[in-house]
Amino acid sequence: MKSINKITVAIASILVILITIVACSSTKEVYTPVPETEVVDSDQEFKLEKSGAQLWGEVCNRCHIAPSPSDYNDTDWETISLHMRVRANLTEKESNKILDFLKSAN
Amino acid sequence: MKKLILSLFVFAFGYQIYSQTYNTFEPSKTQFMLRGYGHTGFEYMDSNDETESTFLGLTYAPIFLYKHSDRLMFEAELEFKLEGNELEIGLEYADVMYVLNKNMTVRAGKFLLPFGTFMERLHPAWINRLPNAPLGYGHDGIAPSSGIGVELRGAFDLGGPRLNYSIYSTNGPRINDGSEEPEEAGILQFENFEDNNLAKAYGGRIGILPFSDSSAEIGFSAYSTSGTGEEDSQYEDVGAFLFALDFSYVKPISPLKGIVDIKAQYNNSNVDTATFIEVHEDGDAEEYSFDNQSNSFYAQLSYRPTMAENDFMKKLEFVGRYSDFNAPEGAEWEEASVQYAFGINYWLSWRSVVKLSYQTTETEGGHDGSGITNTDGLFIHWAIGF
Repeated sequence: MKSINKITVAIASILVILITIVACSSTKEVYTPVPETEVVDSDQEFKLEKSGAQLWGEVCNRCHIAPSPSDYNDTDWETISLHMRVRANLTEKESNKILDFLKSAN
Repeated sequence: MKKLILSLFVFAFGYQIYSQTYNTFEPSKTQFMLRGYGHTGFEYMDSNDETESTFLGLTYAPIFLYKHSDRLMFEAELEFKLEGNELEIGLEYADVMYVLNKNMTVRAGKFLLPFGTFMERLHPAWINRLPNAPLGYGHDGIAPSSGIGVELRGAFDLGGPRLNYSIYSTNGPRINDGSEEPEEAGILQFENFEDNNLAKAYGGRIGILPFSDSSAEIGFSAYSTSGTGEEDSQYEDVGAFLFALDFSYVKPISPLKGIVDIKAQYNNSNVDTATFIEVHEDGDAEEYSFDNQSNSFYAQLSYRPTMAENDFMKKLEFVGRYSDFNAPEGAEWEEASVQYAFGINYWLSWRSVVKLSYQTTETEGGHDGSGITNTDGLFIHWAIGF
């Protein structure tokens, strides 16, 4: 069991390092940002971003019934969103879009 | 001068009156919220020749959320429960979390462990579709529910599919050496608030949501420690390795006019073999050991006809669950149990549900003896989240 534990610790350490590198590197713009006037790829042009309402329906229902936006005010939703972002392991984009929808619909 | 002071006084007093009369405050960055859940109900149990029925006192679990800033938060959950004519109070979790960047959050304190998904995400009464947990969870269960330590977690958007992860280190479990409870010798106890040795537990979970609509999630969890016994005792180096596989699928299906929700989790616990002492009725002591491996499994299917034309039907939910639990052969707590549960739920709102459930459990062995025990139960629970 000691060897399994050592392997687990080693894997965990490697994962922490890798995740840290990937996560931190993604916060900085390494390349020159593409100007907004740049002609986008034809495939990208038709790639639709999900709305906050759609994510609210998909993400919340994974564990519980999606909440009614009117049950809390904007300030409460900000607190709940931070709590749920961590609890349900949501991406930042998912969390922000759902929050924007809840605030706009309550 | 007097006029100036009088003017300032009138202005200050008037502003106070105005502020109290009209709501002029802006929401501050620091926020405090009280949320939580509770449930009450009635249970009827028939176990071989023994029957019992009881109304349940309300179980109340307040959750305190303190948002210090957009990145920093403290969260805690208490649980008040009436059990055996006593009020039990428990601290489910109490941790501080900080969002390091868009892909990483660090948590420290007592937190719910992402060992599978049931205990971390699905166990609250207003979320769980049935009145109780599947076999293998809770008291004497093999799945750890919470731990004291530090955790790194986050999620990545892979351009459609998503990946979430969690890595943590906690005090780890302590093994029951049987000195006080001989019938539970070898069971891991995860409520290890003050570490009993130098060995820490390390674990984590990786979850993958392969489809862009987040309908499915597959997760793998592991939890390992090199020591579970008291320091300087013969059990100090008794290690343990646990793993879990979980699956979730939630999707509205138009031909079925409703939402299908499937949840499943398999838990496996492997503890190093150790020697325990059994004291017989005549006072003689005998050493024994066993292959300390346990496992449990549950699969649950529920269906809500949310697209039905009838309003009453829209609020109904039908649920069925299979679960089993196998404790080590040769242990005092050797057990093989199988449970089937069926239920109909009526959702009063998105966070309030009345559950009617029937469960039948066949237990071979266990704490109550070596024979087969059949237990049938009828449950009516009312749960509310707030």
